[in-house]
Parts: sequence; structure tokens; C-alpha cells
Amino acid sequence: MKHSIYILFLFVCIASNAQTNVLQRIPDIDSTFSAELTGEFFFESKQYIGEQYFNNDWWDGDVLLSSGQRVNGKLLKYNGLFDELIWLNNSNYGKFKLDKLSVDEFWMRKKTGDTIHFKRINVGDTTSIHRMGIYTEVMVTGTLSLCIQRKISAVGYEDEYKNKVLGRYYNLKSKPLYYIKLPENQYLLINKLSNTSFLKLFPDKKDALSKIIRDNHFNAKNENEFVKLIELINREGVF
Amino acid sequence: MHLIKRIFLIILIFHSVLTNCNIHAQTKGAEIAYLHTDRTAYIAGESIYFKLYVLDVVTKQRSDISKVGYVVIRTVNSEPSLKIRVKVDAGLGYGSILLPDTLQSGVYQLIAYSNTTKNLGESHFFRKQITIVNRYDKALDFKVVSSAIKDSSLYKISGDATQISIEKPIYLPREKVIVRLGKFDFNANVSVSVFEMPNIPSVYKTIGESSADLAVNKTSKKPQTYYSPETKGKILRGTVVDSKTQQIVKDAVVLLSCVDSIPNLRYAVTNSKGVFQLLLSNYYNGKELYLTIRDVPESINWQIKLENEFAQSEKWLPSLVAYTGNFKDDIVKSQNIVYINKSFQAEQNQTDKHNSERESICPRFYNCPVETIFPSNFTPLPDFLEIAVEILPRVRIVKENDNYKVQIVNNLTNEYSKNSPAIFLDGVLVDDVNKIIQLGTEEIRKIEIIESERAFGDLIFSGMISITTYKNEIENTRPASHSVRVMNDNVNSGVNFNFTKPATLQQRNMPFLKQLLYWNPSLEITENTDTSFEFYTSDNLAEYMIKVEGISSNGNPISATARFQVTNPVKNTAK
Repeated sequence: MKHSIYILFLFVCIASNAQTNVLQRIPDIDSTFSAELTGEFFFESKQYIGEQYFNNDWWDGDVLLSSGQRVNGKLLKYNGLFDELIWLNNSNYGKFKLDKLSVDEFWMRKKTGDTIHFKRINVGDTTSIHRMGIYTEVMVTGTLSLCIQRKISAVGYEDEYKNKVLGRYYNLKSKPLYYIKLPENQYLLINKLSNTSFLKLFPDKKDALSKIIRDNHFNAKNENEFVKLIELINREGVF
Repeated sequence: MHLIKRIFLIILIFHSVLTNCNIHAQTKGAEIAYLHTDRTAYIAGESIYFKLYVLDVVTKQRSDISKVGYVVIRTVNSEPSLKIRVKVDAGLGYGSILLPDTLQSGVYQLIAYSNTTKNLGESHFFRKQITIVNRYDKALDFKVVSSAIKDSSLYKISGDATQISIEKPIYLPREKVIVRLGKFDFNANVSVSVFEMPNIPSVYKTIGESSADLAVNKTSKKPQTYYSPETKGKILRGTVVDSKTQQIVKDAVVLLSCVDSIPNLRYAVTNSKGVFQLLLSNYYNGKELYLTIRDVPESINWQIKLENEFAQSEKWLPSLVAYTGNFKDDIVKSQNIVYINKSFQAEQNQTDKHNSERESICPRFYNCPVETIFPSNFTPLPDFLEIAVEILPRVRIVKENDNYKVQIVNNLTNEYSKNSPAIFLDGVLVDDVNKIIQLGTEEIRKIEIIESERAFGDLIFSGMISITTYKNEIENTRPASHSVRVMNDNVNSGVNFNFTKPATLQQRNMPFLKQLLYWNPSLEITENTDTSFEFYTSDNLAEYMIKVEGISSNGNPISATARFQVTNPVKNTAK
């Protein structure tokens, strides 16, 4: 009994002392040095069938701003339908679409601990939607880099009654786009993965690339194998 | 009873352990400073060249924590005469301070410190006395610090490990001097000064003596709050208080912006002690800062009190005595040399130091497309009320209790937002819409509008209206009682020491008189490599001192001195 009282008392002392120190000696140290995220209130439309997000849960993430400053520990979701990074502001529980021009890169940590790295790239398309660049998942970096836009598209619609109200609901489908960055900083786009579509991009290296695919039994239709193929091409020094 | 005794004992032990930990925490990361100046006596109008060493208080090694150092020059009445901020990189910073012609003759105190030195108390600040003589002072009846007469160690050559070797003890005017520091078994960075030996007494402490002295735990008044290390730049610190009761206000949002063509914002929230701090990046250098408190409740007067980073609470109370030593002739000579050099503009070709990096990122309020309106494209309108009615269809201004309120249509709801949008005038967030009401199309160059609700960090704004005027009208507006404007001085970049070029020596018709022959604030010593430097003597015939101060990579202080004479044999023979 005595021992329990001692231990309890000690814990109370430790806790109270620790708290006073933190409160008094480090005034808002985080807010002093960290940059602010800027964005627009995001209204989440429910008129979709399927998921508009790459990650349905809020993942803890870090954002590298175009100013070079890094903002850590924010709850993030990537919206593949609008190609926007959504931030859940803990202080007011508002969802905000981060200003695209202010974000260069971001990292999101899955619950399993794996980190997913996204980067905003300018793919040379000057139409209004792509003027600010697109967010792509960075899969391979090297002589050839592979970035995947986790695009979600509306494919058809269904008119349905929900809560006794007739509404139009769009079907969403994941349609990733594959961007291969060449050593000369140009991007090549593959809409649909296949060995043929990949080889067509590099007619002058066709033989060497075909040999690698053949020797390693790669099937570029599979995303994982395609990633491995690009990694191997980098290792082999084809480019 | 026994139990109570035991509990009491445990509390006592625990408390002492925690106190010890607190002291250790306070010392951890704390720094001390050392300031090596080119000389100890100056004529007003000359520059003080200096090198600032910021060292870890425990290891005495160069500290990589602080990026800003502070130097204050104050009078015997403890009045600050000059205050500068110095950029520090890996524990080293250097620059120069131009002494205004108007400074009175007398002794002055040089104080140097970093923000973390404040956690140790002011007695840990580096202090050094210098003498400044006005160029036009003929009476020369100023007093000197009595301790300087007793303990004038400037003339002592302490037992230095560092060897300075020169080719000969006597040189001719305009002759090259090569100084060799020899080989070292470590890397180091030193500052070197070659100057005419002054006759004015002064206390001089080497870097080793000073850092050993400052690192000793002193019974000085410790600060009430913790000073954050300025690892990324200057930290602006202040408190928010109720101006009537002087009670501190916690959780108040302090907003900072400055005049720019881009709306910019930073903010901080006051802590439990009413303290806020804002990191000032290079962007704010040399700009006027506009600070205000967000959402001050009506009929309450809150006030921002900014902390003066140069303020010294401890007074300097030197005991002064009239010095009877024969130094007046030397001062007159120094005054004449400065006068001659100024007349012939001999010092004018000093180059500006690497114009401290201009990498300055504007803390933009938004980074998205905005609707931009140029009022000059429309019929002239007398004020913003008219502008809102005629050319801003989604903006309305309503009057409530003699105060105007701006409302903007939200792009999602298509209704006027209840809350006011963020209003920027010339890049500065203004707390009162009345400041823009009087502005007409003749004053306004550009209006930018965002209709959506926006987040800036944890702050939410119902859209934004940014007005850019032709003549920075924000400067003519009167700040509210809860706002404050303050000038953020530039970081001292100083000027480079003007090294003598061989061509100068050939110009026999030009005077070439120097009391400071050489100043190099950053001479790198590389392990097992001979280190040397060279300079030219001038026509000023005198005894000179070579003074080296520095710190090795492992924290060992380096100090060395040597002397030589410059004489003109022909003239001496004639005498």
C-alpha cells in the first residue's frame, strides 16, 4: 500500500513538473518555425458511386511547399477525381483543397507504416486543367523515372432515388496514367500498360528493351512488373 | 509519522533532481559570444571591423544553432549608440560598423550575444570596452575606465601556442610583410588584425580567457521565459496585454504582414504567458512590419508590446578617471590620418560585402488563381462604396452602427458570407474596412478577389479582397490601438576591408597612411598546411601589432600576437 502511494505521488510530481516546463519554456515553438498551409474550403459532393479518393482514410502526411518549407504531420487525402490534395484541419475540422501551386511534393504514411510519395509535375499540357501541373505518385527515380497519376474518372451515370430524391450518380473508376520521365526531362505518357505500348515509345531502343522483357519474363500489363521493368532498365544502363 | 518523513525525503530528492535537470536543460544549447575587433580605439567616422564567434557554452566549440547574433555599442550612461544584427553561419559572423561622425569622445561598451545567451542571463553576454574619439574634439579631456589603466593586458604577449613569424622586426613604408602562422595539426578559423599599437589603455581578453570567464555559472538574473534559438533567422517576440489592466492575454492571434504587391501574412498565437513569437525570414529584412491582433472584442483594448532584442537591463557603471598618460599626441595623429584619408577619399573604394543573399520568399496569403479587376478600365469612381456597387457585383458594403462591413458572395452557396473577408491594402492585412472606403479609382491600381472560404494555417477567412494602390496608401493610414508598426532593420552586411593593391603603392602623389594595415575576419587554417598572409606597410611610421584570434574545429582557442616596427631610415638618420 505504502509503495503504491509513493509511486502514485512520484508520478503526479513528474507529470506536473513536466507540464509546467513545457508550457512555460517553449512558447509555440512549432508555430514559430512552421509555414502555413493555404487552401480553399472543399465541398465534398456525394453524387458519385465509388471512391473519389486514392486513400479513403485520412493519412498522416508531410507537405513540401514550393517555398522550400516543409509542413509536417497533417491529415491528408489525395482526391484522384479532381487531382487535388485535401487537408483536414484538426483545429476546425474543415476540409481544404490545398493551393496546388504552393505544393511541390507530399508524403502520406499508410497505417502499415509505408510511405507514399507524390510529386507535382508539369507535363507540358497547357490546357487549363493541367496548367498548374498534376500530382503523381513517384514510383521510380533514376535515369528513367516513373510517375503514376492516380486518376479517378467518371464513367457513365445512374439515376437513383436516395432519401426519396431522384439524383444522378456518376460511376467512378480508377484509371491510372503512367508518365515516364526521360533523362532530358521530357515526359512520355502511357494510357494503357502493355509491352507493345511501352516498346513503341522507344523505337531506337526497341531491341535492347525487348531483350530485357524477354529475358526476365516481364509482363508490362501488370503495374508491379512494369515498375520492376523500369528499375531494371535503369540498372542495366540502357539510357 | 515515519511515512510522512519518507514522502518528504522523496519529494526533496525528486525536486533537486528536477531542478538540476532544468538547469542542465537551460544550459543545453545555450551559447556565449566573443567579438574580435580590429582595434580597441577608433576615431568617429572610421569603421569597426569585427568577427563574431558564437560558441557552445559547454563544449566551447563553434555553435551551429544560432543564425543571428547581436552587437550593441553603448555609452557610459548605458545608452545604446549603435545596434546591429549579424548573420551567423556555423558559429561565425563578421561585418563592420561605421561610427557616425557625431559620436562623442569617450569610452564605450561593446556587447555581443545570441538569443540563447539570454537564457543564461545578461552577465554571460560578451562585453568589451573600446575608445571612440570625435574627429573634431580638440580638448580631448574624456575619461577612461580606471580598471583599464591597471589591467591593460593588450600589451602583454601571452604564452601562445600559436607561433607568428615575420621576416624581420623592422620594415620600410610601403613594403610587403609576409606573416607565417606555421603548420597546425587541426583545422581552424581565425581572424587577423594588424594595427598600430594604441597608447589609450584598454582591457583585452583573448577568446580563451573570455570564453572561460563567460562559461562560469554566474549569479545573474535569469530570464522569466525561455528564448528560442534563432536557428532559421530573427525571431520577433512580444506580448499581448490589456492596455487598461496590463494583464496578459493568452490565445490572441497576432498577424504580421508588410507592404508588397502580393498579399502576405504570418501569424502567431500567444501562449499562457501572453508571449508570441514570429520568425522573420530574409523577406522582412529592411521592411516596415505591420502587426495587429485579430478579432479584438469590442470595447476591449488589447495592445501589442514588442520585445526589444537589444535591450539591456543591467547597467554599465564603470568607474572613470582622467588619464594622465601621454596619449593626446597619438589621438591627434589618428584624427589627422582620418581627416587626410577622408579628404583624399582614400577609403572610398571599399566594396560592398556580398550583398547578403536576397533569397526571400514571400509568405503569400494565397497561391491560386484570383479574379483581378483594374479600375482604370472603368469610369472614374470617387470611393470604394461606388466601386463595389458599379464594378464588383459580388461584393457589397453595408453600414452597421456607423461602421462599414464588407460582404462577399460565397462561390459555393451563392449567398453573402456573414463574416468579412480578409482585406489587404498594399499587401498588408487591414483590420478595419474604413481604411479602404475613401479609396477611389484614381488611387486603386488593382483589386483582386477570392470568393471561396479560405484557410491560412488554422485561420479561416471568408474570401479575400486585396487592393493595390498606386502610392502605397497603407502608409498614410492610422494604425488602430491594437496594431503596431515597426521597422525591421537589415542584417549588418558591412563593408569589406580594403586590401592594399600594389598599384596604390606606386601612386607617390597620394597619401598612404593607415593605422589598420590588415584585417581578415576569416582565415582558414587547414591541418598540416602552412598558413600565411601578406600585406603592405603604409607611410604611417609606428609600432604595429599582429593579433590573431580564433577557434579550432575541436573547440580549442587560438590567440597569438607579434609586433613589428615601420620606420623610415633616412628620416631617422636625419633626426
